[in-house]
Amino acid sequence: MLNKIWAGLIIIGILFAFGQDVYDELNNTFNNGIPQKIPYTKSLTSPSQVTLTLSQSTLNAQFKANQRIHIQLNKQSPQYLHDIAAIHGNDTHINAKLISINTTELNILLPELHWQKLRAIILSAFDMAKFAVKLAIGLIGVMALWLGLMQIAEKSGLIKHMVKVVQPLLHWLFPNIPKGHPAFGSISMNMAANVLGLGNAATPLGIKAMQQLQTLNTNKNKASDEMCMFLALNTSSVQLLPPVTLIALMGTQVSELIIPIILATSCSTVAAISVAKLYARASKKLVNNVPGQGE
Amino acid sequence: MQQLTALIIPLLILFIIGYGMIKRIAVYEEFVDGAKDGFNIAINIIPYLVAMLFAIAIFRASGALEFILTMLTPLANLFGFPAEIIPMGIIRPLTGSGSVGVLAELINTHGEDSLIVKTAAVMFGSTETTLYVLAVYFGAINIKKTAYAVQAGLVADFAGFVAAISVTYWYFS
Repeated sequence: MLNKIWAGLIIIGILFAFGQDVYDELNNTFNNGIPQKIPYTKSLTSPSQVTLTLSQSTLNAQFKANQRIHIQLNKQSPQYLHDIAAIHGNDTHINAKLISINTTELNILLPELHWQKLRAIILSAFDMAKFAVKLAIGLIGVMALWLGLMQIAEKSGLIKHMVKVVQPLLHWLFPNIPKGHPAFGSISMNMAANVLGLGNAATPLGIKAMQQLQTLNTNKNKASDEMCMFLALNTSSVQLLPPVTLIALMGTQVSELIIPIILATSCSTVAAISVAKLYARASKKLVNNVPGQGE
Repeated sequence: MQQLTALIIPLLILFIIGYGMIKRIAVYEEFVDGAKDGFNIAINIIPYLVAMLFAIAIFRASGALEFILTMLTPLANLFGFPAEIIPMGIIRPLTGSGSVGVLAELINTHGEDSLIVKTAAVMFGSTETTLYVLAVYFGAINIKKTAYAVQAGLVADFAGFVAAISVTYWYFS
């Protein structure tokens, strides 16, 4: 399933971008090779400066030698202009050809733009690949901090006490974890962090729980039923307090959303548990199946 | 409630270390021992995260989402809810930053008081970035075969999506 979703995202993305680019080529969406008449106003400060209106955005431009004009881009200018600039190795301006000029309009020829979407997706793919590493590296510190604290809690016997308390509650969800196993401790800590909206702590504690579940896993290459259940619980995000990002975005409005969020998240959690349980039951029936099959 | 969250982590740290001291644990040494793993885990996660985020980036940048949206709009109208919240439902399982963007945009165009924004916010609050969680959690322990975890996660997201719409409409009307 994950293989299909993953491939699907990439294939749909590339084919869709390709289709759009072909459409743009056929319709010449970006007016490649066609000079455009653009209204302009002269700047009051310098004779070589003008302000022009291109694709509903107002841009500053400057006349250069050899019939060239440099169009300065800003945040409001449309994406395709930025793409043209980027193709020609420049982020801030477009070097266009000035064909003629009269009192109200400039006749200019912009550099050509082809395969805009395909360029865009590849650019963001590489950006995201870099970002992924940044994200993972950023995890090191928080990870180390929580793993260190968990180690103390384990060695001092704190986790053992905790396991005794939460075991009866969690046993139904995780029937294959042996009684008294520390995995119950990290699972409940992770769930507590989720419930309180402490995303920062939830991830390291969740990873700790996954490591402990891996020690119980019979097939180290494949997710166990316990792991799937744990992941389902995490993705359905059991929570009582809204996540910090939501508070940042919505401000005080968030307080009246707390009850709806709790209700909705309960629904998604119940759904997650049911699906995980049903799959676990089904896979138990197929226990003699070829090991390592499935995704 | 907000004050509570601010207190929990410092109290928890105090409690763990204090309890360790009472039990005569070499707290500093144990902390360092445990923390050592942090680096390896993060490095383990990198290939999984790159694979996932790059695929999602291609999908998002292609504009396919907007296309799917126009296809789904009549369906949304049929069920009587605004199509504007569909992007949230599709983006939420894929990327956290993307869904923050969608929500911010909705707030911009419709205002915080609108039912659309409330629904989207409930959706945001009640589900998680399934594919990211999957990549991070399974990446940390080097598991590529994720069995039925994706299915369970996505069903949970879908249930959260439907529940968010119905609960918000019921609660605020």
